[in-house]
Amino acid sequence: MIEMHQLSKRYGDVLAVDSFDVTIRPGVVTGFLGPNGAGKSTTMRMVLGLDTPTSGSVLVNGRPYRDSPAPITEIGALLEAKSLDKGRSARNHLLALGATVGVGASRVDHLLELVGLGDVAHKSAGSFSLGMGQRLGVATALLGDPAVVMLDEPVNGLDPDGILWIRTFLPALAAEGRTVLLSSHLMSEMELTAQHLVVVGRGRLLADVSMAGFIAGATTDRVRISSPDAGRLRELLSGPGVTFTSETRGELVVQGIPVARIGECAAQNRLVLHALVPLVPSLEEAYRALTEDSVQYHGGTGWTVGIGVPAPARPALVP
Amino acid sequence: MTSATMLEPASPAGPGSPAGPAPYRSTVTTGLSPARVARSEWIKLRTLRSTWITLGAIFAVLVAAGLFAAAATGSDSSSGAAQGPGLGGDPVSTVLTGANLAVLVVAVLGAVIGAREHVSGMVRVTMAAVPSRLPVLWGRLIAFSAALVPVVVVGVLVAYVGGTAVLDANGADTASFSDTGVARAVLGTAGYLFGIGLLGTALGTVLRSTAGAIGVVIGGVLILPSLAGALLPDSWSSVLQYLPSNAGTAFTQVSAGSDYLSPAVGACVFAAWVVVAVAGAAAALVRRDV
Repeated sequence: MIEMHQLSKRYGDVLAVDSFDVTIRPGVVTGFLGPNGAGKSTTMRMVLGLDTPTSGSVLVNGRPYRDSPAPITEIGALLEAKSLDKGRSARNHLLALGATVGVGASRVDHLLELVGLGDVAHKSAGSFSLGMGQRLGVATALLGDPAVVMLDEPVNGLDPDGILWIRTFLPALAAEGRTVLLSSHLMSEMELTAQHLVVVGRGRLLADVSMAGFIAGATTDRVRISSPDAGRLRELLSGPGVTFTSETRGELVVQGIPVARIGECAAQNRLVLHALVPLVPSLEEAYRALTEDSVQYHGGTGWTVGIGVPAPARPALVP
Repeated sequence: MTSATMLEPASPAGPGSPAGPAPYRSTVTTGLSPARVARSEWIKLRTLRSTWITLGAIFAVLVAAGLFAAAATGSDSSSGAAQGPGLGGDPVSTVLTGANLAVLVVAVLGAVIGAREHVSGMVRVTMAAVPSRLPVLWGRLIAFSAALVPVVVVGVLVAYVGGTAVLDANGADTASFSDTGVARAVLGTAGYLFGIGLLGTALGTVLRSTAGAIGVVIGGVLILPSLAGALLPDSWSSVLQYLPSNAGTAFTQVSAGSDYLSPAVGACVFAAWVVVAVAGAAAALVRRDV
């Protein structure tokens, strides 16, 4: 369990983390989602005691992490995969860190096999690819068999096998009663792995909500219609509050009419439908709706966004 | 050590709270201790090849330079007394000539050990494992000492014994270990090298830069005092004698002369410099974000 109370960090003029009040609970994979520069890594560093909060506090399993009598058995973290001394072998890297709480060679060797680095255990970690570095980072995080596992962008640079492995492995860790916090800016990855979401943008907490609730909260009543009589349907469906957001030949995307009404309308007028699909928003769309105003490094559009507070697109999501 | 795998379901750790599953309890039941952190730092130190290469270089420089200086003194000398630039005036400083070079290598090794993890980013992994931080510094200094002290002690003794044998064979003056101040100068040289190593580690920890720390130790501690001594009026010598290298000279020479502190005071002053630097490193390590 990680508890943040009004957690804030200021670097000069930039408020990197602004009053986070979040509890990361055991038993589920919590996704920590936000664009680059949103404050995810800074928050994780404060959880680990690497950065001192400007104000507020954070507790790991009920106490400040610096006071932990057995640190890596409480929280295991992967921050930056390539942050290690290049000349040391993967195995010796793990042996050195494990020694801090008396973890020895048998567990180190077990973990190297688990993350698929058994064959290169004696190779210099500096020669590793980014993907291998991520695997070593995951092994490092698991070294103390910790109650809290915190991974910063673990799939970054990982090969497809590794991504698939992370996808099944993290929920398994959570099912054992561990707290699992996974940060990413890749929404597709989150959708497959996380059950709960903490969304941040420009240092602000935007949402703390279940994955299902997050997507439902962004629901739009858009329906895709595929029909040889699309033109006729469009005429029949037109009315106040109804928009046609995209159309190609034989296809319509309608917003503002319940899907049942569209079906009834087609039946009454004896029009052929090839498809009638309610469009469920993806995590990506939900996320875009939420962070549109809080993207710090916005590309291309030439307009500055997010001056002041992020637009409270869905204030109900933040408890 | 447990052999439980990560994917086995957790054994019930107690009554689960109504709010969710029982919190996971690690199968690792041992905790942090200063001895374990020191062991961790020792593993880090001994598993880098550069450590052993540098320690080997320190030993080789101490012994080889001592033997060469002794050989040069014996064959060059017509009067029997030691001479030649930089070779000192007495048999002990002749056979310990290598210390002048070894001190640079020791300073570099110390600076690298202090700064390396800050440069590579490994420091964040280390401090996440030991969030109280200070045990890392103590453990690192203990591990470094365990590696460095045997090398410099054996190094100066071999240089002294070997160099003296060469001087003797060449018919030059030699100094017996039992002569006044000889044992103190020989072992004091080892102590001085050791102290410079700790100073380098402390400065590397504070500056977080290998190059910066090497620059400060070699430039500030080793070169500046002699530069200042040459440029400043003689009246400054009472101040300059408290600088680390001059305080070191006071106890690493058989008789340093009136410009220097007494050997005992010099050793205390030098030790104080090391303690202050290490205290500064401890304060910086605890206070600053990593």
